[in-house]
Amino acid sequence: MSVEDLTPREAAGKALADLGDLRSDVVVLVADTGETTRARLFAERHPERFFNVGIAEQAMAAIAAGLAAAGFMPYALTFAAFMERAYEVIRNSIARLALPVRLIGTHAGFSDTYDGPSHQALEDIAIFRVLPNFTVIAPADSCETYKAVLASAEVKGPVYLRVGRDFHIPATCGLYKMFEVGKGYVVIDGRDVAILTTGQMLGFAVEAAKILGEKGVSAAVLHFPTVKPLDLSLLSSYAKEVKGIVTVEEHMVYGGFGSAIAEALASIGPKPMAIMGVKGFGKTAKNPAELYEYFGLTPENIAARAEELVALS
Amino acid sequence: MEQLSKIACEARRRLLLMAAYDPGIHIGSSLSVLDILTVIYGSGRAKFNAHNGVSTRNYLVLSKGHAVHAIYALASVFGHLNLDELRETGSLGSRLQNHPEDDTPFTDVSNSGSLGLGIGMAVGLALGLRLRGAQGRVYLITGDGELDEGLSWESFAVAASYRLSNLIAIVDLNGAQLDGPSEEVLRKGDIAGRFKALGFYVQTIDGHDYAQAAEALERAEASGAPSVIVANTVRGKGVPELEGSIRQRIPRDEALALASRLKCQ
Repeated sequence: MSVEDLTPREAAGKALADLGDLRSDVVVLVADTGETTRARLFAERHPERFFNVGIAEQAMAAIAAGLAAAGFMPYALTFAAFMERAYEVIRNSIARLALPVRLIGTHAGFSDTYDGPSHQALEDIAIFRVLPNFTVIAPADSCETYKAVLASAEVKGPVYLRVGRDFHIPATCGLYKMFEVGKGYVVIDGRDVAILTTGQMLGFAVEAAKILGEKGVSAAVLHFPTVKPLDLSLLSSYAKEVKGIVTVEEHMVYGGFGSAIAEALASIGPKPMAIMGVKGFGKTAKNPAELYEYFGLTPENIAARAEELVALS
Repeated sequence: MEQLSKIACEARRRLLLMAAYDPGIHIGSSLSVLDILTVIYGSGRAKFNAHNGVSTRNYLVLSKGHAVHAIYALASVFGHLNLDELRETGSLGSRLQNHPEDDTPFTDVSNSGSLGLGIGMAVGLALGLRLRGAQGRVYLITGDGELDEGLSWESFAVAASYRLSNLIAIVDLNGAQLDGPSEEVLRKGDIAGRFKALGFYVQTIDGHDYAQAAEALERAEASGAPSVIVANTVRGKGVPELEGSIRQRIPRDEALALASRLKCQ
């Protein structure tokens, strides 16, 4: 089965198993989430390097820090929403010491549609982005998840990887061979307006650009799988040319990807912006598409906001 | 043992001197844990010249990081710190911070300061040492107040589940925490019993008796199980005016007066 056919969490699990073949220092921890995060795929191949700490996210984070201090490269996996429970442990045990712990938050955004707001992490980019030393990566699809997990092993300090459950629109599979941490990608070139995304919104942005194209608006689609550090050179090269910038994320509009872009633009040179995301907790639904519709994160809405910005100029 | 007693007394005097220069030190807590640290360093289980970083040596994790001054005091008695530097503890730019930081000398773990975190760190280190096939052990010192934290018991349960016989926890049971007597702030119950129920090898000692501490450490090391030593201690121990008091911070004049009154054999 090719990576494209896997779900994002399966891609993460497969990447860990493969990484375990390549590196003997990789260890994996879960908080009773071996099956749900698909870390099981690592456990099956490397059982001696797999640790289940029970439903104890704080212990998972602190013990991962200890393993890192003992010279290992720990990957700790649980639902992104529950990773947040260990926040202060992560701050003081991992970020403050700049230890090479990799946290993989699965079921991020709306992807755990069935379980509702308690399980839907919509603020994780914001809280990890603000921690010194952390690198934050939000892959768009399974292909990128697989490559990003492998690439994360090369990062010096701690990493937060945001991964969805099952839903994904394959959008990066042919885009590049090697994932480069900190690099943004031009998915579609354009000159009137730029649509910037991170994570699973990329597929929607591509659709939005098509809608705009049919209306004679040339829209660029820029993908920033690494939210921190941000690819400032890619951002500034487009920011200088286009009339406006739309950011789209499956996350709060506060403190997330759009905020990171706005902060950067404050130095590069401000542009009319629309920050698209959500402003409250999630909802239970039967499938993610219902939630994207409900929260207004659709290709049509993205195109409409882009058109507004072009019209303003 | 007599030698250890002299070392500890001189370390206590230096703690009082530090208190005169650094209003941020936790004197009561540092004094309660000092004898345990004296045995661990005095017996060579922990070394002052071991650097942070990857190694197969023993690790000493002071999870009650606010008592780090006890380690500074001992380091100075053992000749690893001069008095000038000791007086600078807590100053901006000094490497002797009031809680262990990443570049703090003589300490293995710098995630303490926030309670309970060192316990998880110690369990991770013990897992890592075992995975590496290393002979080193992890000596973990926690307070009793720190046992309020959920993380503490989460971590101990992991140690028990993975049968980490290279982990030796020592509870500095001084009976006091920020808001008052530990048992009044939050019920601790039968601490030894809680560890027994998890499957720890449990011993209870007088934490100021060097012989008891040394024997308990040897038995723990031979036990083949994750181990805890519940050490009954006294806040402010060794400074009669502070013994049994929950005071953590004392004014400069008092600290100097107490230091000059302290008679070491």
